[in-house]
Amino acid sequence: MIYLQILIDGFAISSLYALGAMGFTLIFGVSGVLNLSHGGIMAIAAVIGWLAAGDLGFGVYLGTLVGVVAGLIASYVTYFIVILPIQRSKAIPRDETEIFILTGTLLWGIMIQVGLAYLFTDNPVTMRPLIDGVTYVAGVRTPKNEIMIAIICWIVIGLLWLLVNKTPAGKRLLAASINPRGLTLLGFDLSRIYFFVWGIYGVLAGVAGVLLASFLGVSSASAGQLTASAFSIVVLGGLGSVSGSLVAAYVVGYLETITAYLIAPTLRPIPALLLLVLVVYVRPQGILGRR
Amino acid sequence: MKNLLRSPALYVAIAVVVVAALLPLWLDGYILGILTVAYYFGVFSMAWDLLFGFAGEVNFGPTFLIGLGAYTAAILDNQFGPPIFVCVLAGAAVAVLGGLLLAVPALRLSGPYFGLVTLVAVLLLQNAIVIFAHWTGGEIGMTVPDVLSIDANENYWYALGFLVVCAVLLFGLSRSAVGLILQASGQDRIEAQALGFNVTKHKIAAFCISALFSGVAGAMLIFYMGTASVGTVIDISVGVQVIIAAVLGGRRTILGAALGSIFLIVATEFLRPLGQLNTFVVSAVALAVILFFPDGLLGYVLRAGERE
Amino acid sequence: MNAPVRLRVENLTKRYGGLIAVKNVSLELRAGEILGLIGPNGSGKSTVMKLMMGIEPVSGGTIRLGDADVTQWPSHRVARAGVGIVFQHSRPLHRQTVLENIKLALLPDSLIRLFADRDVDTRARAIADRVGLSAVVNRHPSTLPFADLRRMEMAKAIARDPQVVLVDEPFAGLTLSEVAAFSDLIRGFRDEGRAVLLVDHNVKSVAALVDRVFAMYLGEGIAEGKADEVMQDATVRRVYLGGEIAASHKRAEAVADKPPLLKVEDVSVFYGKAQALDTVSLNVGQGEFVSIVGLNGAGKTTLFNAMSGLVPYSGKIEFGGQNLSRLTAGGIARHGLVQCPEGRELFGDLSVEENLDLGGQHLTAARRREQLAWLLEMFPILRERRTQAARTLSGGEQQMLAIARALMMDPKLLILDEPTLGLAPVILEQLGRALEKLRETSPITVVLGEQNVTFALPHADRVYVLEHARIVWEGDPQRFAKEMGTGYL
Repeated sequence: MIYLQILIDGFAISSLYALGAMGFTLIFGVSGVLNLSHGGIMAIAAVIGWLAAGDLGFGVYLGTLVGVVAGLIASYVTYFIVILPIQRSKAIPRDETEIFILTGTLLWGIMIQVGLAYLFTDNPVTMRPLIDGVTYVAGVRTPKNEIMIAIICWIVIGLLWLLVNKTPAGKRLLAASINPRGLTLLGFDLSRIYFFVWGIYGVLAGVAGVLLASFLGVSSASAGQLTASAFSIVVLGGLGSVSGSLVAAYVVGYLETITAYLIAPTLRPIPALLLLVLVVYVRPQGILGRR
Repeated sequence: MKNLLRSPALYVAIAVVVVAALLPLWLDGYILGILTVAYYFGVFSMAWDLLFGFAGEVNFGPTFLIGLGAYTAAILDNQFGPPIFVCVLAGAAVAVLGGLLLAVPALRLSGPYFGLVTLVAVLLLQNAIVIFAHWTGGEIGMTVPDVLSIDANENYWYALGFLVVCAVLLFGLSRSAVGLILQASGQDRIEAQALGFNVTKHKIAAFCISALFSGVAGAMLIFYMGTASVGTVIDISVGVQVIIAAVLGGRRTILGAALGSIFLIVATEFLRPLGQLNTFVVSAVALAVILFFPDGLLGYVLRAGERE
Repeated sequence: MNAPVRLRVENLTKRYGGLIAVKNVSLELRAGEILGLIGPNGSGKSTVMKLMMGIEPVSGGTIRLGDADVTQWPSHRVARAGVGIVFQHSRPLHRQTVLENIKLALLPDSLIRLFADRDVDTRARAIADRVGLSAVVNRHPSTLPFADLRRMEMAKAIARDPQVVLVDEPFAGLTLSEVAAFSDLIRGFRDEGRAVLLVDHNVKSVAALVDRVFAMYLGEGIAEGKADEVMQDATVRRVYLGGEIAASHKRAEAVADKPPLLKVEDVSVFYGKAQALDTVSLNVGQGEFVSIVGLNGAGKTTLFNAMSGLVPYSGKIEFGGQNLSRLTAGGIARHGLVQCPEGRELFGDLSVEENLDLGGQHLTAARRREQLAWLLEMFPILRERRTQAARTLSGGEQQMLAIARALMMDPKLLILDEPTLGLAPVILEQLGRALEKLRETSPITVVLGEQNVTFALPHADRVYVLEHARIVWEGDPQRFAKEMGTGYL
C-alpha cells in the first residue's frame, strides 16, 4: 500500500519539479543565464495567484490565471532590469559576465523574498484546491487536486514539446540553444528570440509556482529552496537539456518521496544532494547533457 | 618596501585604524557590538576575495568553510572544554581540510559546475548539523561555555585587532610575489604554466589559505557571540552577504572586501527602523552598485591608473 | 658547422578523438637557428607547438630537450627546463604594470618566497630595455598600444634566458614597420645562440627571416629545407595555391557602368588594439563574381563579418544603396546579404532538412518548397542525407549543406568564406561544379574569400588581393595570373 502511495505522491511532486526545472534549463540553454531568482519568480506567481483567488475574490480558476500572468511579468522585469543591463554593460569584462549575472540575480531574488515577506508576511500561502474531494487510485486515497495538478503539468509539458519541436518559433529556440551565431546569419535577431524565451519561462515558472501553492503551499521563505532544487535538478539532468531536466526531476522527486516515507521526513533532501555530488564528480555534464 | 613607506595610503590606513580603536570612548555597547560582528565578517569577505580575486574561483558557499571552523570549535569546547585558542586551532584545521575537499573538484570542473559544488557543500553541512542535533544543537543552535570576554569594549578590540592582523597578512600576501603568481594562476592558467608555475599547487594553496582565515574567523565569532547556529554561520544568506560585501567593496582589492562588509552590516543596522525592508534596501543598493560600478567602491578608486 | 640540437621531436602524433591533428612529425631545432613552421589553416602547426610546450598531452612519439625526454612533462616543468613561448594572443595581467608582468616571469615557483630577490627588479628592467619597453615599464597593459603588448609577451618568454624559444604568429596585427622591428628582435634571439621556432601564416615575412623551413599540411610534414627551396616545392605550392594558377574564361557583360550592388568605403576594424582591416575599399557589381584572395590572417573573415554586421567598423558599407550600419545583423541577412561563414555554423544536432528549413523561414511556404527542391537537385548528396543530423556529415557534405542553407534564403549577394578549407580535391571539384551551375542558373552575386587561388580564379570576374589588412591589388583574373602568379607565395 505504501509503495503505491509513494508512486502517486512522488509522481505529483516530480511533475511540479519538472515544470520548474525545465523553465530554468530552457533559459540557460537559449540565453546562457543561470537565473538565481527563479524561486522568487515562482513565489511571486504563487502569492499573487493566492491574493487574486482569495482577497480579490476572483475565485480559484481566475486567480490561478492571474498568478501565471504575474509570473510572466516578473520574468520580464527580471530580464529587463537585471539581466540585460549586465549583459550590455561595457564596464564588465566579458569573462566575468556570468559571475555578475549570478550575483545580480541572487540579489534580485533576495529583494523579491524580502519584499514579499514585507507585503504578505512569510506565512505560507495555500491556494484552495482546483478540485475538491478525494478519489481512490488503485486503492490509495488521493486528493483529486493532486491528480489535477499532475495532469496540468503534463499538459503544459506537452505543449512545450509541441512548441519546440513542431512550430517554427520553437525550432528557432532550439537552434538558438545550439548555435546563436548561425541563427543570426540566417536573418534572425537574437533579441527577439530572447524576448520570446523569457516569456515562455515566465509562464512555466508561473504555472509551477501557482500549482505548488495549491499542492504544498508556498511562502516567501521557500524562494531560496526552490531555486536550489531547480538548480540541482538541472545540473543532474544536464545543463541546457530540457529532456534531461524532465528525467532528473523524476529521479529527485522520487528519491525525496521515498526518503520521506521510508526513512525519515527530515532527511528528505539528502539522497538527492549526495547523488548530485556523485554526478558532478563522475559525469559533470549530467545524465543527458551534451559534452 | 620603500614605496610602501612613502605611500600616503599607508598613513590613511593607520589613521583609520587608530580612530577605530578609539571609538569605544564615544560609542555605546550596542553599536560596538554591531561593529564587532562587522569586523569578523570583514575577515570572511577578505578570505573570499583572496580565493576569488586571486585564484579565480567563485565560491558560492563560503559558509561551508566558516561553518566548519565555527562548529568544530563549538563542539570541541562543549565536549572537552580546552582553552579557546585550542578550539580555534582545531576549527582552523578542520576548515583547511574542508578547503582541500573543495579544491579537488575545483581543479577538474569549471564555471557553474564548481559553483554548484560549493552550494551543495553548504546544504550538506546544514543537513548534517540538523541530523547530528545531539552534538550540534540542530536548528536551534548551541551555546559555548567559554567566551572571549564579557566586556563590550574588550570584545571590540579583540575583533578590531583580529581584523587588522588578517588584513595585513592577506593584503601583504596579495601584494607579494606569491600573490602575483596566484593572480596569474587565476587569470590565465595556460599562460601561468607556460611561465613555469605549477598552477595546481598554487590553487590548492589559495583554497587552504582562504579556508584557514575563514575557519579561524568563524571560530572567533562563536566565542564572541557565545552561541553557534545555522542561521548565523552556515545559512546561504550569510554566504551571500559575504560575497556581496566583497563585490561591493571591490573585487581583488582585499581591503575593499573588509570595507564592504562593514558598510553592509552597519547600513543594515541603521535601516532597522524600516523593519524587514532594510535587507531589501541594502540589496537594492548592492544591485545598483553592481550594475553601475562593477569595480566596486574601492576598486573604482584604485583602478584609476589602469584606465587610459 | 654543426650546432647542437636543442629540441628534437620524433614521430610526434596527436589525436583528438577521431581527428588526427598531427601525424608522425619529426623535426629538430638547433642552437643559433630559426626554423619556420608553415602551413595553411588546420595543418597542425600550432598543435605541434603546444605539444612541445606540454600544453596538450602527446598521443604518440617523443620530445627531447637536450638529453632529457620531456614527452610527458607538464608545461611548467618544460618552461623551467629552458623553453619559452610567445603565444599568438597577448595574455597580460591587466592589474599589474609592465614591469610587474615581466618580474612575474622571473619568479621562482615557490609558495614560501614572499619577496622577490633583490636582483629581479634590475633584471626585469634590463629585459624591458632589450625589447624596447623602457619608456612604458610603469604603465598598465590596457594603456599600451598593440605592438607594445606583443613586445611584453616576447619579454616574458625570454626572461629566464631559455635555450629554446617558440614564437606563434608574431606578426599578426602589426604594421609593416613593426614587422621589421620584431624581425630584428627575433634575429637577435637567434644570434644569442637560442633555437627559435617560428610559426606564421605570412609566408613572405617568414621566408625573409628564417634559416630553414618545415612545411606542414593536414598534420603531416610535406617539405623541409632552405626557405626558397621549400617555397618552390611543387607539393607546397599546390597545398597553398591549389595548383597551377590558370587563366579563366571571362563573362562578357560589362558591369562597370551600373551602380555597384555592394560598396565598401574606407572600412577599418580594430580588435582591441590590433588592426584587422586598414581603410579597405571595394565594389561588387550586380551579378558579378568577385574573388577576394589572401592568406590566412590577411583579414578576409573580418571584412565579411563587417559586411554582415557582426563586428563594429569605421567607414561605410552600402548594399543596394542602403547604408548597412543602420541595420542589425539579422536585418542585413534578411535584406539579401547572406554569408556562409568559415566555420559553417551549422546546427549540429538538427537534421539536414531542419537546417535547410531554418534557412527558408523568411520565404512563403510555396517559395520555400521551390528553393528546397532546386537545392536538393544541385546538391544531390543532401537529398540522400536529408534526415541525418548535420554533425554526422563529412566535411565536404557539411560545406555543401552550409552553402545550400545560405542559398535557401534566396540571397541577392552570397558571401562564401573559405569554402575549400580542409576539403579533399575531389570534393573541391564537386564544389566548383556546383558554383558553376549556380552562376548559370541564377542572377546571384557572389563574393568568394579564398586562400586557394586555383579554386578562386576560374569563376571570378574580378579579383582583389587582401594582404595584411589592406587591399594591395585589384584586377581581372588574367592579369592576376601574369602579375601575381609567381610572386604570390
